[in-house]
Amino acid sequence: MEGILAIWQRDITKFFRDKARLFGSFTMPILFLLIFGGGMSGTMESMMAGQLPEGGSDFNYIEFVFPGIVAMTLLMTSVFSALSIIEDKDFGYMKEILVSPVSRVSIAVGKMFGAATIATIQGIMLFALIPLLGLSYDFMSILQVIPFMFLLACALSGLGLLFASVIRSTQGFQMIVNILVLPMVFLSGALFPINNLPTWMEAVVTVNPVTYGVHVMKNVMVDVENTPTQIVEAMGLNLTVFNQEVTVLGAVLFIAGFTLVLILLATQSFKRANA
Amino acid sequence: MAAMIEVQDLKKSYKETEAVKGISFEVEEGEIFGFLGPNGAGKSTTINMICTMLKPTSGSIVINGFNANKEKNDVRASIGLIFQENTLDEKLTANENLKLHCRFYNVPKNDRERRIQEVLHIVDLNDVRYKKVETFSGGMQRRLEIARGLLHYPRVLFLDEPTVGLDPQTRAHLWEYILKLKKEQGITMFLTTHYLDEAEISDRIAIMDQGGIIAVDSPEELKRQLGGDIIELSTSDNAQAEAEVQALLGESDEFTINDELIRLQVENSDAFISELIEALSVTITKLNIRKPTLNDVFLAFTGRDIGEATGT
Repeated sequence: MEGILAIWQRDITKFFRDKARLFGSFTMPILFLLIFGGGMSGTMESMMAGQLPEGGSDFNYIEFVFPGIVAMTLLMTSVFSALSIIEDKDFGYMKEILVSPVSRVSIAVGKMFGAATIATIQGIMLFALIPLLGLSYDFMSILQVIPFMFLLACALSGLGLLFASVIRSTQGFQMIVNILVLPMVFLSGALFPINNLPTWMEAVVTVNPVTYGVHVMKNVMVDVENTPTQIVEAMGLNLTVFNQEVTVLGAVLFIAGFTLVLILLATQSFKRANA
Repeated sequence: MAAMIEVQDLKKSYKETEAVKGISFEVEEGEIFGFLGPNGAGKSTTINMICTMLKPTSGSIVINGFNANKEKNDVRASIGLIFQENTLDEKLTANENLKLHCRFYNVPKNDRERRIQEVLHIVDLNDVRYKKVETFSGGMQRRLEIARGLLHYPRVLFLDEPTVGLDPQTRAHLWEYILKLKKEQGITMFLTTHYLDEAEISDRIAIMDQGGIIAVDSPEELKRQLGGDIIELSTSDNAQAEAEVQALLGESDEFTINDELIRLQVENSDAFISELIEALSVTITKLNIRKPTLNDVFLAFTGRDIGEATGT
């Protein structure tokens, strides 16, 4: 336990000490929000209004995309924070950790929690923009979504850990992660609905953990019950996998299971490691 | 005394090569055990296996009564490591680095402050406790690293080339401290260095070459085994001198030619030297008579100078 805490605290301390990183992590999600929110809302909203004559004009794209942007921020930060593993290897500190009696599970979990905490903090920072964007989410639903954001961030940073444990160079890691992150964002329903995709893309959507993360975030934050059914369908708020409607609970369980598997895999890689 | 480290028939092979070829040795509690050998001899591989960082192909390692293959965490808690490369977190302060170490090794909470002060005092870094490590000089970082390795009161301290890159004064200071540790705390030390004068402080030395251990003994005994004094000379015509020395020594082959230097070993140099001078028809340009050093031991066992062997 102490080991997890120590590894976690080290990464958090270093995050707040790195001014450039701090600035970047404040600004990047805001940029996404401005570009996607501002740039796409006109198109998306007029499309909806055209498609759905009654009620379509009430559609607010920003309200739809906001949870998606939060999920995207979580993804980016979680996966890239795993870079700290490669840095630790390069600068030798990983050796200090690996020769210590800290259990290998604790190393994996500590690193995962560190990345997930940083990602969640960034996600929460985005919530501060809600009033500025003229959005209104239920305060309770925001409180509910925060623990889930942490879980989702754990799953995603676990993915980063796994890649960091097999890739040796910083540049290589960044390349691979970029290739990985883009389809994960675009094929998750975070930014646009994922209806009527070709079959092979459907397959990617189905195995993409971000899909389930976005699904939960949108369903918790957007007031689905008071949204016209056509809009719910048009915006893909009802996720179906293998002809089964995915419930919020089901999606949460999927993410939790995914996280556990990644912890096990990362632990194995630390067991084999000899920095 | 009980054995602190017991290594038996330890082997490590990679696909094609056998890096460590079944070595066995024991390190007794409280002794300083020197581990010498050229690069590629298998030293690092051996140390990594002892420190649980590398899985042996076969053989057994027992440290402080724990099996390094099965009771990894007990072994890890029993040892401290000072690596040759930097393993500090430079973005953190000295204090933070030490605190983290206490937490990794489960040092009792109420004892941490006292121990941190104690080790900082030992390496003389009290003044910079709250400064970031990146502002430290190389020597200061090394000292901090040593302080950190002692925080959890290890039973065995592994020192892998601990003084590389340190100025002579810091080096001397460091050895003084290491000897003090040995005397006061009875910490067992496992030392690798290629400064052979530093290896002299070892109680026993193992010489490793090409994956095997070729000698284990005290430095004095190793030197004594070489037999006698060493005479090194160079002359205006080494080829001629070589023939004459050969004639003088008879069948004995106890001399080597190293670059420009003829090196020979004799039981008693006092009597021999006048004979030698008389026997040589060429002019002697350099003459040196001395007691054997560890470098001579190394040379005798491996056929190489440790300096050339390690490429420094």
